[in-house]
Amino acid sequence: MNLLLTRRHLLAQSAAGACALLAVPAMAQTETLRLAFIPQENPQKLLGDIEAITGWLSAEIGVEVEGFVTIDHAAAVEALRNGDADISFMGALPFVLAEAEIGAVPLLSEIYRGSPSYTGRVFVRRDSGIETLADLRGRDIAFADPVSESGYLYPLAEFERAGLIASLADADTFFGRMFFAGGYQQAMQAMAEGLVDAAGASQFADLLLSPDQQSQVTWIAESETIPSHVVIARPGLDAEVQASFVAAMLRLNEDENSEMLRYLYGPDGYVTADPTAFEGVRAMASRYGLLR
Amino acid sequence: MFHKFSTLVIGVALGAGLASGPTSATPVQEAPWIPEAAAYRLTLFLGNLTPVPWDELERAWFEPYHQSQFAQGAFQWLEAESDVETDQLIAAIASEDRQAVFSEATRLIAVRINEELDEALAAETPAAAQQAVGAAQELYRAFADHIAAADPDAAREIGLAWLEMASATGSAGVLGVAVVQPDRDAMQASRAVISDYLAANYLIHSFAPRDTLSAVPETVALGGHAVAIPVTLPPGSDIFDQDPLPRLVLGFEEQGIDETDLPLIAYGDMLFDSPEIFSGPARELGIACSSCHNRSDINQRFFIPGASHQPGAVDVDGAFFNPMFNDRRDDPIDIPSLRGLRFTGPYGRDGRFASLRDFTRNVIVNEFAGAEPTPFMLDAIVAYMTEFDFLPNSLLTGDGQLTAAASEAARQGEEIFNRPFDGLGGRSCASCHVPDGNFLDRQAHDIGSVAPAYQDARAGALDTPTLLGTVYTAPYFHDGSLPTLAAVVDWFDDTNALGLSGAERDDLTAYLEAVGAADEPYEQFDDENTPFRLAFAELTTFASTLDTLLLRRDIHHILLLTDSVASDLAADAGTMANLSARPEVYSLAAHLAEVGTAVRAGDWPAAEASWAAFQGEAQAIEERAF
Repeated sequence: MNLLLTRRHLLAQSAAGACALLAVPAMAQTETLRLAFIPQENPQKLLGDIEAITGWLSAEIGVEVEGFVTIDHAAAVEALRNGDADISFMGALPFVLAEAEIGAVPLLSEIYRGSPSYTGRVFVRRDSGIETLADLRGRDIAFADPVSESGYLYPLAEFERAGLIASLADADTFFGRMFFAGGYQQAMQAMAEGLVDAAGASQFADLLLSPDQQSQVTWIAESETIPSHVVIARPGLDAEVQASFVAAMLRLNEDENSEMLRYLYGPDGYVTADPTAFEGVRAMASRYGLLR
Repeated sequence: MFHKFSTLVIGVALGAGLASGPTSATPVQEAPWIPEAAAYRLTLFLGNLTPVPWDELERAWFEPYHQSQFAQGAFQWLEAESDVETDQLIAAIASEDRQAVFSEATRLIAVRINEELDEALAAETPAAAQQAVGAAQELYRAFADHIAAADPDAAREIGLAWLEMASATGSAGVLGVAVVQPDRDAMQASRAVISDYLAANYLIHSFAPRDTLSAVPETVALGGHAVAIPVTLPPGSDIFDQDPLPRLVLGFEEQGIDETDLPLIAYGDMLFDSPEIFSGPARELGIACSSCHNRSDINQRFFIPGASHQPGAVDVDGAFFNPMFNDRRDDPIDIPSLRGLRFTGPYGRDGRFASLRDFTRNVIVNEFAGAEPTPFMLDAIVAYMTEFDFLPNSLLTGDGQLTAAASEAARQGEEIFNRPFDGLGGRSCASCHVPDGNFLDRQAHDIGSVAPAYQDARAGALDTPTLLGTVYTAPYFHDGSLPTLAAVVDWFDDTNALGLSGAERDDLTAYLEAVGAADEPYEQFDDENTPFRLAFAELTTFASTLDTLLLRRDIHHILLLTDSVASDLAADAGTMANLSARPEVYSLAAHLAEVGTAVRAGDWPAAEASWAAFQGEAQAIEERAF
């Protein structure tokens, strides 16, 4: 495996229409299981992580497992649709969109801090004087990303629940300025530094701030629970391979294997995904016109 | 205080320290640095040391920084990632021209930011644009905190420009859903804000000479106003506690005596964890005695570029911590364990201080630039440190003999350990590492492990270290040059012609491993004994000394305590397993801070009321919050 990865290579390949960084045959084959990963930080580190986890999975499953990096959720879903990938790691919202568009199947849900679900929150600085969502009328807010459940849709839904907006489109007129900062950390940092008045992000996003900043921020609204990030499969993936993969991933919960979790976005473990757990996400995506 | 490694990742514009006010001894895990930004920050840091460590500065650009997640050094990375010219910077480094290096490196970062912004604007997809903007922001991070300190209005304007830029890149959505088209006009406008500032301050032909290298914008630097730049550590630094955390063995605690009943010791415990007793960079960075001596032992990961030649080592009389005490010698030492401290004098690797009190004062005042400690402070910290006991080891009797639990190989090794050797002048290993004297002799010997600093130097004698607990304190020797106990055995055999066979070396190693073993060397965390709970118990114990200090109306020592503990308590809240209980801990920290505020105002009834509120809430949290 070539580990010398640069962002230029990533972009060049992306621009050329190939979402994968590593050589990917046109069609997946059952004797090789292909996992699509989405970079969260340094793609080079992710490649090292992928090498470690795919090596372990190969040994566990008895099928060659390969991993490659896609540029974003959209590319990962395209890879699943094209058959370039068999399995991908994804947020709940991109999953329900992929489910609706290509029939993607949820396999496993991440456990984080003891739960397969989490929430989104609206954070403000303690000294801001902002106590309710209504106080944010005309004020500036930063969200993470338009395709983020905890970093956009779910916190925004709290404004709807409070009767402050009626639709996504209303958000533009309710707030002063609304930014998509690019991620939880950027949105939270913008709020903590006073560039914006509030941030919509995961309930754990304040842990991305320094300890001093953490003590200076609080949250004023919390969303209903959101299914945690999920491992999904393309439709038609060989049932036996799929079952072997799920069984191997569940063995990551065992003490002797848990070290491998750090190569997989750092969850505490995995549970078998419950498709009904995504009803709320499907409903919200429909309500906001994201599901056709 | 101990600081369990957390997964906090703090990114743009954050340093590890604060510019002023009470400092927290809770370090922050930084987001990874992009290679050239890392090299630039290392250049600023190393370029401000006297003398400049040019070899290390060169490595900062040619090799990945310590613990980098990137496989390449900055120049190799740039070759693959950028069209930027590096020849002039390479030449400036080779000629050891500090100002030229600063100028070329600063321009390089600015050029790279513009290069990425160009790429963002030319990108055909939102994802590609977002990646380029992300890279540009990571590069800007090399300047960000210095701009914020020097030109806060510009920092805010640029911060908003980054937000606008990120938003304007749009979103690819998923399979055509939730697509947000890029807003190129908005991207151009925010890019102009950033690039205009770079042009005026960082892409200039000639920078004015700078006594202190920094990314302070040139227009501000030319204004001549002093800028209070927050002290930060360069990329690759690691001041987190060792993981696994060493177990602390305190004599009184093992005897069932509560530390809250020992106010002098509890206060000394607080001082051992307090950066407030230092000044300068150590204080601002939250470095305390316990940063290097985790739980009385060592910290194998402690590393500061320019001050550490390898993890677990530090040059405490170098240029960084206290310029007044800079001996201008690159002589970092392996951090020694303080276990059994009352038995291990004299102190210092060469035994230069007979008195632990004198040694401690030297650490505070000279090594870490602290104010002269009061007699009470020295009494307290010495009282605390002399409670450090060795780790229990069921392989050894109290007088240093192997027990029945030891292996046969260790027994064979024990004989070798006590065997006189011609190569040792008729002495044995045990002559210096006396088994019934905690495996030391309280003398300094020149065993040939120190390279002469000058011709005919007679300065190689080092204090005999104990062998107790050494299984967990690798590497070995004063400079940490030997990685294992087996390597130590090999060194002695080779340099002293002991003539040991391979089997004898193995047996002697087995003996050392038995002597240096421990029944329970590390703190055991579980659902009950969590990192936060341990920290919380420590901090509330420290605070208990207020019972004594408030009665004595001891303003100086009360404020030292409240400044140390209140900020640390709040900072440690982020490590709680029960995150929902954090506000209660913040409230508790606020009560302690209020004690300090009231004492500063001379309002003793208010101080006592806040202290009573603290005690009440602490008890409630202890019962509920974990």
